[in-house]
Amino acid sequence: MPTDAMSPGGGAPAIRAVGLAKRFGLIRAVDDVTFDLVSGRIYGLLGPNGSGKTTLIRLLAGLTHATAGHAEVLGATMPSRTTLERIGYMTQSDGVYPALSVEENARFFASMYGVSADGAVEESLALVELADRRRSLTGTLSGGQRRRLSLACAVIHRPPVLFLDEPTVGVDPLLRVQFWSYFRSLADGGATIVVSSHVMDEADRCDELLFVRAGKIIARGSSRELRDRAGTTDLEQAFLRFAGDAEAAR
Amino acid sequence: MSRRRTIALFRRVAQEIRRDRPSIALLFIAPIVITGLVTFILREGQTPQVDAVIVNMAATPGSVYTSALTTALEAEGATVTTAPDVVTAESMVADHTATVVIVLPAGLGQRGAPTITVITNGMDPSGEGSQVAAASKALVSVASSITGITPPTIVHETVYGTPSSDPITNFAPALVAFFAYFFVYILTGVSFLRERTGGTLERLMATPVTRGEIVGGYTLGFGVFAMIQVALIMTWVLGTIRVPSIGPIPEFSVGLGISVAGNPLLAYVVVILAAMGAVSLGIFLSTFARTELQVIQFIPIVIVPQFLLSGVLFPVATLPELLQPLSFVMPLSYAVDGLRQVFIRGADLSVTALQVDLLVLTGFAILFAVVASRTIRRDVA
Ligand SMILES: Nc1ncnc2c1ncn2[C@@H]1O[C@H](COP(=O)(O)OP(=O)(O)OP(=O)(O)O)[C@@H](O)[C@H]1O
Ligand SMILES: [Mg+2]
Repeated sequence: MPTDAMSPGGGAPAIRAVGLAKRFGLIRAVDDVTFDLVSGRIYGLLGPNGSGKTTLIRLLAGLTHATAGHAEVLGATMPSRTTLERIGYMTQSDGVYPALSVEENARFFASMYGVSADGAVEESLALVELADRRRSLTGTLSGGQRRRLSLACAVIHRPPVLFLDEPTVGVDPLLRVQFWSYFRSLADGGATIVVSSHVMDEADRCDELLFVRAGKIIARGSSRELRDRAGTTDLEQAFLRFAGDAEAAR
Repeated sequence: MSRRRTIALFRRVAQEIRRDRPSIALLFIAPIVITGLVTFILREGQTPQVDAVIVNMAATPGSVYTSALTTALEAEGATVTTAPDVVTAESMVADHTATVVIVLPAGLGQRGAPTITVITNGMDPSGEGSQVAAASKALVSVASSITGITPPTIVHETVYGTPSSDPITNFAPALVAFFAYFFVYILTGVSFLRERTGGTLERLMATPVTRGEIVGGYTLGFGVFAMIQVALIMTWVLGTIRVPSIGPIPEFSVGLGISVAGNPLLAYVVVILAAMGAVSLGIFLSTFARTELQVIQFIPIVIVPQFLLSGVLFPVATLPELLQPLSFVMPLSYAVDGLRQVFIRGADLSVTALQVDLLVLTGFAILFAVVASRTIRRDVA
């Protein structure tokens, strides 16, 4: 596995997993995962339902205790409360308050991150095109609009590390393109972005993919590399090929 | 602990409650309706009608008794009939054509104290107490008129003054404490559960917020509403505003006008301290609930025992010995006692019993807050 990918700045990796594992009873949700992720890149976690993508992100963000191993973000061993100031996490569920208005939600999360500038709230709402709905109660928004608000709340503090758990589910194609170009601009600015998805056509937008299956990273590389290695033009086929190899290796 | 974050949390919680109409109704209207209802029942409750049946098995001396008893009972508003035997009389009580049977035994009028049997239906023990009381009262007055010995008059006083003839005085403090505690618990429990199940807690835990700030923000948020609620209940319970008669509606007064011997502000402090504990209790118990219904299901486990064991209904001293220690670990006991100290005894801060109540309530509030904050980082499923 190419764990020696060069960071643009050349420094230490932004995110590091060392023998990371999480068990729920007999289920190995995350099973001995080790990797380094460098800044300025977008990483895609790709895997079927229940493969452990969310659990892996939660471990990296220090939101749940690892059964074994540990995670480091920006040089700090997680969980680290002060490091959370520099992490944005868009959860798989929307995680916004339905009884608050769009703007109140954004302001609330801004205060949680210690951001006081009104500009940050404005900018984030503009980014997700919800500025004109600022007074609407969040509970009255459409599913896609709530997803957009959820993203706005995750980036309100301009974090250098961003975890996005299926960020584009329910978002229309046009806005999806805008989301990705925004992610790209953040990465170009030096941010490290981890996006989970099971939409394979979004995978091409990531710099590097990590195939997740049954809690393990079964392959890592760019979309092109992985397809080449699997000898197929279709990413889905590539996933199945690697999954088959992993099964055979047991 | 960041003040900014705590205040942002407080504002958010307050905004959520403000927009939740049913909760507002629960907080502000329900206690007023219920205290009003209880007061009305206790003050205006009917004394049950006494319909006595006398069974005379003592021939002539019995007839003297019967007519004297009839006079005494009728003087108190009872109706009196006679029956030839106990079986007939009992069937009258069973059929609800009479409420109480008084059996004058065959040996009446001979030497020695007679045993007079009083029979009631047995379906409603507390209501029948007044039937027995009415019968004994009439019997005592008959005995004294026959023997010529006048029984003494008994006057009841208490160390804090003459007991109020208002039956609600003793009950009101307990009700006030109970409502503040109960409603704050339910609202916090449900609202924190929403935080857990709605994915916002997960999100919140991904920010630099501390558990203490969360508990602090919630306590402030619900605390403010509890303060408004308690102020409203106290005004309602203690106040009297006369509304003059309008047309066919007779004059009536708003507010229960219950007398308070001490400083109402002190009573206020007692209730607020209890409510603060209830916020943390709600957060803590929401850990064990998966749905909002389950928060409600904790009521019989957590709230009802407090209601039974904290002296709201039964004085702690009359509880079985086995249960008494339990009442000492229940915050509501101290709130109820503290309020009674202020309402009835007129206690001020120099009274040790009240000092203990305030201290223990503060202790509980702090203890629950610590326990609640410990449970927050628990993995959300
Ligand atoms: N709190 C929990 N308790 C018990 N099991 C859990 C818990 N969280 C996750 N799991 C289990 O861990 C495994 C991985 O779950 P996870 O949510 O990480 O999958 P995922 O890849 O994010 O799936 P999806 O694509 O559906 O979001 C699943 O089998 C799930 O049942
Ligand atoms: Mg997931």
